[in-house]
Amino acid sequence: MKQILLPLIFLTTFYSCSQNVQESEKYPLHVGDISFDKDVDDPNFKVCNENRVFQYYNFGKGIQYKGEKPVINQYFKDQANLPERIGENGFLTIRFIVNCEGRTGRFRVQGMDADYKEKKFDKDLTDELLSLTKQLDGWIVATHDKEKFDYYQYLTFKIENGKLIEIMP
Amino acid sequence: MTRAVLILVFLPICVYGQPNCNVYKLKGDSACYHGCMASNVDFGQGSRQSQLQFDKAIELCPTFDYAYSEKAVPYLKQGDFVTWRKLIDKAVELNPIGQLGYRGWCRFQFIRDYKGAIEDIERLSSLTRFDIGYSINSDYHLNVAKALCYKALGQKEKAIQIMEKQFSEKDYSPMTYDYLHLGVLKMETGDNDGAILYLNKSIAYNDYMAENYYYLGLTYKRQKKMKEFKENMEKAKAYYLKGYKRFDPYTSPLDKIYLSDIERELNVAN
Repeated sequence: MKQILLPLIFLTTFYSCSQNVQESEKYPLHVGDISFDKDVDDPNFKVCNENRVFQYYNFGKGIQYKGEKPVINQYFKDQANLPERIGENGFLTIRFIVNCEGRTGRFRVQGMDADYKEKKFDKDLTDELLSLTKQLDGWIVATHDKEKFDYYQYLTFKIENGKLIEIMP
Repeated sequence: MTRAVLILVFLPICVYGQPNCNVYKLKGDSACYHGCMASNVDFGQGSRQSQLQFDKAIELCPTFDYAYSEKAVPYLKQGDFVTWRKLIDKAVELNPIGQLGYRGWCRFQFIRDYKGAIEDIERLSSLTRFDIGYSINSDYHLNVAKALCYKALGQKEKAIQIMEKQFSEKDYSPMTYDYLHLGVLKMETGDNDGAILYLNKSIAYNDYMAENYYYLGLTYKRQKKMKEFKENMEKAKAYYLKGYKRFDPYTSPLDKIYLSDIERELNVAN
């Protein structure tokens, strides 16, 4: 009996563990989680609580930026050096974390064409928008009941022929 | 009687929201009943468990569009529109009448894909002879959302026509922002009297929006009525500071104003 039970227990445990590993590999703990990547991320950027990074909309205040959204719009309008690039159309999204001190890090970029397919934008255009996004320094620290939190934020740039048309959200 | 019961049972799955799994039970579709039930446990939107639960629901019931559209939501809210689109397209493929209006609305609200939103809403209209319904956040009738897309594309007269037609529909009850948008459109197309009429209607309907006074002020400014211009801008500022303003936790709605907009106009007025 023992000869049958032991392999059975081993097999069941192994199967259960391998299934959990598969499941955890399929999805992050939460959709959109950005883990630290030593190859691209600033090691000096810290989040206060790695296990509890909220989404910007969780605080019910929309985008939290000093001077509100028009400051972001005006900043990119004034600063972005984007010459016309015929055929460069679609949406460039930059997602990042605003930490509990209002600093930003772990930037990730995703390009998308007008048909919602992944698209690699011109490198100079991408670098320009990424660099400017990294320099935004008016993010407001998210608070709830006087406690400060880290949160994910994104900016989506609508691009037509290489020109910046609109910024979301 | 049987027909009436069937309509009542099916109704909740036609309108958007948590599905009524008993629909499948009554049809004797055990796999989809269990798939539907699996999707009804709340693990927290976007969590691994939640996403796996929708996978399980889809595995059990591959035609269950709700599981695809709900699995898609966290990607939409977090700006991953590529993944969102793959999932929502599957939901639309399975249930075009139930999902097209939702996809169209999201394309407008989150992505400002005005042409795409119009396509979806118009395709929905072509598929049903019934009312096409409202945006998922209940702010707009989908025809008004379509009108706003035309406005964003520069076709303001067409936007006005669509709105006026919708507002004149029998049994249509105005939504919170309807008159504001029509008032702004009137102002932008040079119809100052129309703008004043609809912005005042908007105030009568919902006097909790700085936007009403801001655009009313702008209209008076166009008419060179500087006293009314200033009064309305001051009121807009007071309302804004009290938190009486257009707000959406996810995006910046069309015709929304900010404090800097009001202060810029007050500088002109003073």
